[in-house]
Amino acid sequence: MKRSIPAVAALAAVASLALAACSGGTSTASQPPAASAGATTASGGLCGTGDVTLTVSGWSLSTTPEFKKLADAFHTKCPNVTVQVKEYDASNYSTLITADLAANAGPDIITQKEVKYVTTFVSGNQLLDVSDLTSQLDPKLSGLTSYQVNGKQYAIPYRQDSWVLFYNKNLFDKAKVAYPDGTWTWDDYVKAAKSLATALQAGGNSSVFGTYEHSWQSTLQGFANAQAPKGGILTGDYSYMKPYYERALDLQNSKAQVDFGSITTNKLTYQGQFGKQQAAMMPMGSWYVATLIAQQASGDADKFNWGFAPIPQYDSSTTGTDKTPVTFGDPTGFGINAAIAKSKVAAAKGFLVFAASTDAAKALAGIGITPALTTADVASTYFATPGAPTDALSKFAWTTHKTSPENVTDPRTAQVQSILNDAHTAIMSGSSSIDAALAQAKQRVHDEVGIG
Amino acid sequence: MASFTIDDAGPRARSVQPRRRRPGAKLKRRNTLIGWSFILPNFIGFALLTLVPVLALFYISFTNWNVFGTAKWLGLANFRRLVHDASFRTALWNTVYYSVVHIPLTLVISLALAMLLNRKLRGVAFFRTAAFFPYITSVVAITTVWNLLFSPKYGPINDVLRFVGIANPPGWTTSATWAMPAVIIVGTWREMGYYMILFLAGLQTVPRELYEAARMDGANAWKRFRHVTIPCLRPTTFFVTVMLTIGSFKVFDIILLMTNGGPGQATLVLSQFIYNTGFVNYQFGYASAASIALFVICIAVTIVQFVVNKRRAA
Amino acid sequence: MTLVNGAPDTRTLTAAAARDRRADRLTPARQAARVLGYLVLIVAAAAVLLPFFWMLSASVRGSNDVFTIPVKWLPPTWKWDNYVQVWSQTAMVTWWKNTLLLSVVVTFLQVLTGSFAAYGFARMRFPGRDVLFLVYIGTIAVPWQSYMIPQFILFSKLHVSNTLWSIILLQAFGAFGVFLMKQYFESVPEELSEAARIDGLSEYGIYRRIMLPLSTPAIASLTLLTFVNTWNDYLGPLIYLRSPNLWTIQLGLQTFINNLYNQNYALLFAGLTLSVLPVAVIFMLGQRYFVEGIATSGLKG
Repeated sequence: MKRSIPAVAALAAVASLALAACSGGTSTASQPPAASAGATTASGGLCGTGDVTLTVSGWSLSTTPEFKKLADAFHTKCPNVTVQVKEYDASNYSTLITADLAANAGPDIITQKEVKYVTTFVSGNQLLDVSDLTSQLDPKLSGLTSYQVNGKQYAIPYRQDSWVLFYNKNLFDKAKVAYPDGTWTWDDYVKAAKSLATALQAGGNSSVFGTYEHSWQSTLQGFANAQAPKGGILTGDYSYMKPYYERALDLQNSKAQVDFGSITTNKLTYQGQFGKQQAAMMPMGSWYVATLIAQQASGDADKFNWGFAPIPQYDSSTTGTDKTPVTFGDPTGFGINAAIAKSKVAAAKGFLVFAASTDAAKALAGIGITPALTTADVASTYFATPGAPTDALSKFAWTTHKTSPENVTDPRTAQVQSILNDAHTAIMSGSSSIDAALAQAKQRVHDEVGIG
Repeated sequence: MASFTIDDAGPRARSVQPRRRRPGAKLKRRNTLIGWSFILPNFIGFALLTLVPVLALFYISFTNWNVFGTAKWLGLANFRRLVHDASFRTALWNTVYYSVVHIPLTLVISLALAMLLNRKLRGVAFFRTAAFFPYITSVVAITTVWNLLFSPKYGPINDVLRFVGIANPPGWTTSATWAMPAVIIVGTWREMGYYMILFLAGLQTVPRELYEAARMDGANAWKRFRHVTIPCLRPTTFFVTVMLTIGSFKVFDIILLMTNGGPGQATLVLSQFIYNTGFVNYQFGYASAASIALFVICIAVTIVQFVVNKRRAA
Repeated sequence: MTLVNGAPDTRTLTAAAARDRRADRLTPARQAARVLGYLVLIVAAAAVLLPFFWMLSASVRGSNDVFTIPVKWLPPTWKWDNYVQVWSQTAMVTWWKNTLLLSVVVTFLQVLTGSFAAYGFARMRFPGRDVLFLVYIGTIAVPWQSYMIPQFILFSKLHVSNTLWSIILLQAFGAFGVFLMKQYFESVPEELSEAARIDGLSEYGIYRRIMLPLSTPAIASLTLLTFVNTWNDYLGPLIYLRSPNLWTIQLGLQTFINNLYNQNYALLFAGLTLSVLPVAVIFMLGQRYFVEGIATSGLKG
């Protein structure tokens, strides 16, 4: 996914509010070691022995408070362990980590920012096998499979974003269109987007659109891969994406959505389009919740009522609040550098287990981040953040979903994704017909990756 | 006026070696020694810091290195794969397309600019700075702005085209046909000031006496340009041509930031192919093989330019 | 070529040129041509500077006002505060200091060793010279991204990564300066060196006393181009300079922007404007050296 920054971070204002409101309470509550869910071992096992300093890779520390938060919380739990966050440039994280590991200068704990590189690290023997930790984890923890290679566990997730449908209640009211109710298929969504556009543009404002689908390939292909019956990036045949592209082109042509060319050439940002009320709906990852709250507080985004709903579904078999909607998203996790000093291993493993615990999840939820563990308890902390939506559907969308990984953990994933991205830009810019571009992608995946 | 004499208006052919050199073994050795003493300070740094990694790259191109761990020797397998790789061929073709248009265009424009600004005009400092501004401004800024200008629906360029009666102006960076011309325009715009400076420096080597003499002979402006400027500028032109050729074959950041190789693969160039193969797909062995291919192409073109230049000089 | 003035160079104050200048004033046609020439220049300059104008305009907007449909050329609201923010929230002074230090040292080394080596290539004849020169040019033809990792491993083994030395070593011994200076030296008349040799000057003396003073334009352009390239380099510092106290302007600014919760282009452009200005001023002041050549330096009389 090309989200260039981990925008999940909350602005300092919100963060500090949230910290004052929640985390103070959380950390006091977590003082007794018994509160650490899942970790039934004695806290001595979690902390290792002796004074240990661990380094962990992170990025954008000033606006991604999660690393510091987890480091401090772990230090509170295990005073003998100091966790230092080594900062990397967010948009060049993979390149820089690669260079460091190649020169044997990597940190002790390697944050797995992109799932598609997990197999590269594993095949290069850069990650320690941490399969022994899985028994200490909450069974509800999601995203574990993304870090499994050949039956072994190489990292533990602590954060799991997934895609939902954001909507602007004010614009819906103005256009007299009914809010999403969790029963939408993509066809319902297209219909709503068109009615919204017609009503909103009738006011003479031709730059307000019904919906905003950002230019990333994930915005369309992510859903097709997760929802379509024959979907999957390693299938070698991508004709299942066709209905998704037909709808996207239909939205563009009927002016219910700004056209792809304008998004790329005018560098439209999704924060600007939704935050400045240029679109009434937007499919986006849950990280945007924290951003939107922060921007509304700072004035970078307009003040309006909003909420988020489950993402529209392939067909009605998964719609409705009594079913589990299917969406996609990749986890973020911690792995241990295979070259770590022996004396640090126990403490490093302890950190991985801690980051996936309920305590850590609540601490993360308190700063607007979606942890990999979303129990009801964690959810109430999350929705207590000032500025967060409070309606039932938003809570449902946040807690209930089947999240397929966007990037399958496989050595071929990175290459297939770049081929599919070429198809995406070719179709969306109108340079190529849907059929031709998908056929070409099939051919290239066959020739260059050897699938199909 | 000047303390040297010029005997003809043709190419100022000069021997490259000191004239007093006599074919004696001792003198030859002395010359070699002096020659190396000049080159050495730069060469030590160059050899250790650049040449060694580049040689490593040659080795890597025969392996399956993926950065981590040991590399397995594959022989020519990477190069065989290149020959059959349709994406590589696309990248190669696009790179040639870019270069063939960009090189002459930039050469002509930057030389024209240099001629125009090589004089005492009121405000010449301002105009020289203006011409060089695209190069000093960060490439992030200029690609962003040019993308806005090229915006098919809302961009000023297409507004103007529509105004003059072109009903269906090009889609520029969003069209497979027009993305490359758009990128070439920006590349030329950005680099013209850069090469202008090199030409400006070169123009100072043209002895003014030659212009005077030519004028006395009744040569018009074009003839003076053709028979005085061009021949005297040859060393500079050679330098600019070689640098421009290599620069065009290696074009990277402008395309990455403007089109990211798209739409589809319409502007995928070799450098980007190499970057993606290495840093996205983690196939550094294969990426190195592609780099070697790029290197061979550049060197071949450079050698041809070298030979042509030598022949002209003679 | 004669758009502005009939004479190819008006600086030569010979009688012929002086006559030409008088002629300029007298003929109305030439006057008109001159006015027209200026008009063309001004329009061209405006076109060339347009993107920079837009950058300035974008630098004083709110973060979500930068990219809008339709394009707005003037800020909807003026937000001068961006400059204050960039200045106060970043370590601009440190970045500036590092960048200046790197640019000056790299430029100095490149000009010095480059011109020195260039003399060897241009004026000395010894076996293997042309092949060696081709090797120099050859390395220019290899994209840096492809040997970046091997080089990083090497630099790490030499313990220079994450120090300012890494950038100095990376940039100072490039082949570019050697090539540029060699080409220029080759256009300096050999007769001059010959005369100097008869006067008993060594090759080193000729390099210092004859070649360098005669090469002001080439040295000026090499200085400027190296300076600008080092000043604007992003990828090199990104890979090698990890500690924030070592960051350069480009790296610092990009990282600062990337670290904001969304890419605030208004702030980025404010920072970029601040980073471009010093280079522009240096250029404005130094541009006359590009045209200070053989005719005006050293050789008179």
